[in-house]
Formats: sequence, C-alpha cells, structure tokens
Amino acid sequence: MAIRVDYIAKETGNNLIRNPSLTLATVLTVAVSLALLGSALLISKGIDGLNTQFRDNVEFIVWIEPDATPEQVAFVERALDGSEGVKSSRYVDRDETFSEFQEFWEGNPTVIETVTPEQLPTRFDVVPVVPDLPVVEGLGAEFAGLPGVRDVKFASEYIKQLNTLTNFASNAILVAAVVSALASGMLMYNTIRTALFARRREVEVMRLVGASNWFIRVPFMLEGLVQGVAGAGIAGLVVFGLNRLLRNQIVGVDFRLLESFVLAPGEVAPIAMWLLLAGAAIGFVGSGVAVTRYLDA
Amino acid sequence: MIRLENVTKEYPGHGIALREADADIGKGEFVFLVGPSGSGKSTFLRLVNKQEEPDNGRIFVAGKDIGELSSWKVPMLRRNIGSIFQDFKLLPNKTVAENISFALEVIGRPRHVIKTQVPAICDLVGLGDKTEKYPNQLSGGEQQRVSIARAFVNRPLILLADEPTGNLDPQTAIGIMRLLDRINKTGTTVVMATHDRGIVDTMRRRVIELSHGNIVRDEAAAAYEQLAQER
Repeated sequence: MAIRVDYIAKETGNNLIRNPSLTLATVLTVAVSLALLGSALLISKGIDGLNTQFRDNVEFIVWIEPDATPEQVAFVERALDGSEGVKSSRYVDRDETFSEFQEFWEGNPTVIETVTPEQLPTRFDVVPVVPDLPVVEGLGAEFAGLPGVRDVKFASEYIKQLNTLTNFASNAILVAAVVSALASGMLMYNTIRTALFARRREVEVMRLVGASNWFIRVPFMLEGLVQGVAGAGIAGLVVFGLNRLLRNQIVGVDFRLLESFVLAPGEVAPIAMWLLLAGAAIGFVGSGVAVTRYLDA
Repeated sequence: MIRLENVTKEYPGHGIALREADADIGKGEFVFLVGPSGSGKSTFLRLVNKQEEPDNGRIFVAGKDIGELSSWKVPMLRRNIGSIFQDFKLLPNKTVAENISFALEVIGRPRHVIKTQVPAICDLVGLGDKTEKYPNQLSGGEQQRVSIARAFVNRPLILLADEPTGNLDPQTAIGIMRLLDRINKTGTTVVMATHDRGIVDTMRRRVIELSHGNIVRDEAAAAYEQLAQER
C-alpha cells in the first residue's frame, strides 16, 4: 500500500510541535549524551595521534632552542651520532617544522601568520639501541645539558603518563556517555509514548478502520528519528567546537606535544558520523519500542 | 458471512465472556445481539474484527478463518468491517468531512477518491449541509450519523454496531435505525448489540440473546424478550 509522503510529513511535524517542551528535553538529552560520547572518542583519537608521533621506535626527542646557532645544532648532531646508545637520529629542521606547523594549522591563517619559522624550535627524533625506559632516560639525560638544547622529552614520559590519565578520563566520559545515552533512550521512549497517548483517539480510529501497522507507526518513529538526529547534530557541533577550543587553548604551549591531541576538522567528521548514527539509533529504538508496546497492548 | 464455531473467550479475573458459542450470520442479514450488560455482546463484536482473540473455537469472516490471519493482514480484515459505537469515537479536532476523510486517508485511498466519496456519504447520512461543523457543534444523533458515515464510506461487507443508540433519545434513535436499515438494504450485513427493547420489538429481525456468555436464544424475526414460559 502506498503511504502518502505529505501525510507522513504533516503528522510527523504536528507530533514534533505538539509538545515542544518534551521534544526539546529529548533533543537536549540526546545532545548531551552524544556530546559526551563524542568527547570520549575525541580524546581516545587524540591518544592515538600522540602515539603516532612517537612512531618508528622514536623513544625520545631532543628539542633545540629556536635561537640555537648552527654550530650548536651540529654539535648536538655529532654527539648523537657518536653515542653508542643511539641507533639512529633524524634532524627535523626549520623548514620541515614550519611546514608541519602550517599543515597542522591549515585553515587557521591567524595562527600561521603570527608565527615565523625562526620562532619554532627544531628537534632530533632519536631511536635508541635499547628501548628500555631506564636506559633511554639515562641516554636522554646525556643530551639535556648540551648547549642549545631546550629540553629532552621521552616517549615513556608522555605516552605512559598521558595514556593512563587520558584513558581514565575517556573511560569515565564513556561510562557517563553510555549511561546518559540509556537515559535519553528511555526519555525518547516516554516522549513517543506521550505522543501516542496524546493521539490515542486517532490511533484507535486508525486501527479500527484498518490502517496498516506501519502506517500508524511511521510518523511516530520518524518523530523519534528526527529528535535523535537533531540531538546528534547539536552534539556534533559541540564536539567540533571543543576541538577548536582545545586547539586555540594550546597555542604557545609546547605545541609539538599537545597538537596531537587535536584532530584536524577532517577527522572530526567520522566522529560526527558516528554520533549521527548513534542519535538515529536512539530515536529509532526508543520510538520503535514505544510504538510496538503500545500497539501490541 | 460471520460464523462462530464453539467460541470461548475468558477474561482472566473477570470470568467468562463467551462460552462455546455457535452462530452463523448470512450475507445481508440484520442481527440484534441482546442481553444484559456483561452478557458477552461486546465481546462477540470484538471477536469478529479481531480486536480480541478467542481462547477456543474458530471464527470465520467471509469464509476465512480469521484465527489464521497473520497480524499484518488484520487491517485488511478491518477494512471490510465498519464499526460504530455508543460513544461515536469521533475526533474532536476534526470537522465532519475531515473525520470521514481521515478514515480513507489512513488506509491510503487516493485524494481524488476521497474528494468524491466524502460528500456523497455525507449526503447519504443526511449531513450534507454540516460537513464543516465540528463534533461538539452537532447533536448526539448527528454525531452518530458521522460515525456511521465513517464506518460505511469504505463500503464494508459488515457493519458492527455496539449500542449505537445507547446515548440517544428514542426519536433520534429511530432515525439512526432507519439509516442502518438502509445500509443493510444495500447488502451490508449488520450486527448490532443493543439494550433497546423498543427498537428490537419494532424492527422484528433476527435476535441472538446472550446471558452470562451463553447464547440462550437465536430466533428469526423476533422480539427483545422471549415469553417466560417458552424458555
């Protein structure tokens, strides 16, 4: 049987505006829970990004002061090459650092304009022979005091500590996200039940005159779907905004470390897609259960 | 058209509503279901359009065992069965015309069909000049006419009426009965549950009498009550 599109659109629209406060509450609850979910995903992706920074067995990074002389850099390089504990090292020079910087801040010209290559610290990515932590720390300390060296950062230091911390944070957020997603699913169920109750006479007449179950169902399920997707849309914006905020917050901090925590907008998109799917699922399941239970009762 | 074979229906906690009932109602018949409140009249009607399932026995509508209908086919059954009620079940926020077209819309009838059928049925039930009124602007009798129009607009094979005159004064009730009689004459089978002695005695149609869920009488061209000594 053909279901008329205009009928469905009209009914869904009417349902949505029939009880605006409840609709808003549902949308916002979905938005909050999915924003939490998105943040958890953002953080865990950030950790993945951090891990890739120390890829290819790079165990520590020797940061060079931006104003170090070429002689100082050459000295550090010779020291690294001469060290028995160092398997290999690679100098990331100004141009490369700056292009990394530009690539990362692509789409944010203000940041790029305020920084010149001369202001950026260069670095050596170092792969040691023995990757054990105490050995690596002892080795790294040898270079920390050399002239022109700003700092030595260890993979273990970053990754292990940050992993623990952020894993804990993202797990906690994830739990909160799951709990609130359940809550929003239940709220969705009740919203649709309320909508069914508000239209119980219509539904009764529809069943009596032989409207098919799907015909009765579709407007209510669409209502749930619209609310779920709307909430997911808001959550997506929140995650996008959070990403921007994190990015702007860390300007001037040790950006090489923290930048991995921030995803390029292209990488927020898959998270947003997941959120939309999750929002649609909450709407679909919550409303579907409500309608099924109502019609079977 | 409607056949009950050994049908039993029990509501847990409320006792038996219909016990081993057998009935055979032919096409185009007009049948009164009579009996006191709680005797099983409404259950009888609700079983026919599958609002209820029997605990036992089989029910045939138009030759088909409706117990074997899968749930998605139930709406198709109901499209062939119109229903009217004591409380009309009209939608208060819709006009007469909208109430009737709603019934056609929700079963997917095309707009041009609705446009021609709604005014026609309004004329048939005598409400041609009130199509834009809302239910609360109508008298009880007029509201029942709207409900009959809604039930009949789809030209069902069967019309089930549950106390359709229960809320109406005798004069108005007569008008409703005339209308149901006309609908019956078009070949529609009418089954009407009623308390209204006057109507049953005047119309002299087949009477099925129920008492505590038992069919105690099934008599052609009968009166509301059988004489006591004949029982």
